[in-house]
Amino acid sequence: MATLGELRARVLPPCPALDVHVHPLSCFSPYRIESVEQDVRCLREAAQRSGVTKVCVFSLHPTCPREPTVAQCQEANDYVLRMRDLAPDFFLPFCYVNPMYPGESVVEIRRCVGEEGMVGVKLWVSRRATDPGLDPIVGESVAQDVPILQHAWRKTTGNLEGESTPGDVAHLARRHPRARIIMAHLNGCNPRGIEEVADCPNIFIDTSGGDPERGVVELAVARLGARRVLYGSDAPIRHFGVSLAKVLGAELSDSVRRELLWNNAARLLPARAGVGVI
Amino acid sequence: MAVVDVNAWVGSWPSQSINAGAAEVRGMLKGVGVERIFMAPLDAAWAQNPHLPNDLVYDAAQRWADVHPVPIIDPTIATWKGEVDRAQRHSGVRLVKWLPAYAGYELAAADECAQALVEADLSLMVQTRIEDPRGQHPLAQVPDVPVQEGSDLARRHPELTVVIGGVPWSVIASYADTCRELRNLYFDVSQADGMDSLSVLIHSGMGDQLLYGSHAPLFVPLAGIARIVADVDEVEAAAILGGHAEKLLGLTA
Repeated sequence: MATLGELRARVLPPCPALDVHVHPLSCFSPYRIESVEQDVRCLREAAQRSGVTKVCVFSLHPTCPREPTVAQCQEANDYVLRMRDLAPDFFLPFCYVNPMYPGESVVEIRRCVGEEGMVGVKLWVSRRATDPGLDPIVGESVAQDVPILQHAWRKTTGNLEGESTPGDVAHLARRHPRARIIMAHLNGCNPRGIEEVADCPNIFIDTSGGDPERGVVELAVARLGARRVLYGSDAPIRHFGVSLAKVLGAELSDSVRRELLWNNAARLLPARAGVGVI
Repeated sequence: MAVVDVNAWVGSWPSQSINAGAAEVRGMLKGVGVERIFMAPLDAAWAQNPHLPNDLVYDAAQRWADVHPVPIIDPTIATWKGEVDRAQRHSGVRLVKWLPAYAGYELAAADECAQALVEADLSLMVQTRIEDPRGQHPLAQVPDVPVQEGSDLARRHPELTVVIGGVPWSVIASYADTCRELRNLYFDVSQADGMDSLSVLIHSGMGDQLLYGSHAPLFVPLAGIARIVADVDEVEAAAILGGHAEKLLGLTA
């Protein structure tokens, strides 16, 4: 009969884990968050209980508006910068922009990445990745040498207007072969989506979102290679440990697990993130 | 602590290329520390007669004493009473399962079967979801069973233990008041994902009515364990992982 300590040991990763897909609790908290300090503390404690070492964080603004304004994106980014300043060893902030405003987004990326040291760009789902409106934003991300995180899903029940499929993301990647694109939500993209991006070496899939279905991580590694799959949780919408279990419970070697949990993200992030390959 | 999985499956799920026999499922669950496995036949969801795949779980129980068969009972099949009798006669059966979304009936139309389960001293799991509707095969879309139907059933049959399976955590949370009123209503937490979800449910007073389920082999077995052990103290974890199920399903001496 296992003790709680033994069960806890089983669900912890064998190496440091970098989660590339986390939102502040102020966006999706299961309980009331009174301050950014509380947000930092609760998010960090929950991550560390599951064995997560660092997280890439991006706010969708506390109200998660369907069409965030430029000002709301700026507010969201300022919030994440405060989180980074409170726990610089834990949070790696991404700049949140709405592709409905390409010019303003470029200015915001220059402020947040170029001046404030954010290490990535997160695109809102207002425009599909096939839309040329994304091009100036991607171009600036390439110029700033940071990865872009693009939401994707293949919903049987129908995608939202502006919500990209993996095929749309492949279109974006082919238009911008120098861009490093993290396509979010492996389980939402499903096995068809994996095939749609297979021939785009500049697309990397994070494991966030969707249920912890068995076999999907193994399939992604088999089809894309061990260097194109990254651990992400989508916390607090999803549980850090449940998402980690997709990787820990997959039939993979320890060296491949280390690539997914840390090294692949380390290679994608700019040097100033201070995250080296282990 | 004893770990009892009240929501495991065996069999195939073609759209996700899942095909796991009883030995494989048992092996993967034992590997994460599960000691007792309540196993239902996955193939029943798409069977014209969902009772036929029950042989799979009866056979598994014959091979392993730690496997409890969870036969599917379908009140729309003419011979459902015989299937309840078969379940009652088998000493390992404590729980049966309904798949109303796949058989196409409303729980309000299944009261006679519910009463038969009371008389057979069997508990019931109502599976409200097997797959997230967003990820279902486009030609095999099955909406979730409304949880309200399950709680209404528990209210109409206070002597029947009703476990609602496959419910997202935020929906479970919305039943905190109902759980206080209906002590025969339980939730399996196999699909209760979300940061601190278990802590929030316990804080809302539902801790005594939560049961660990893995949803294996569809889900990675480690996932269901992780959400409990990471966030919950030893007493609550022991209760949700197995203590409640042991009492509820008569596993203790």
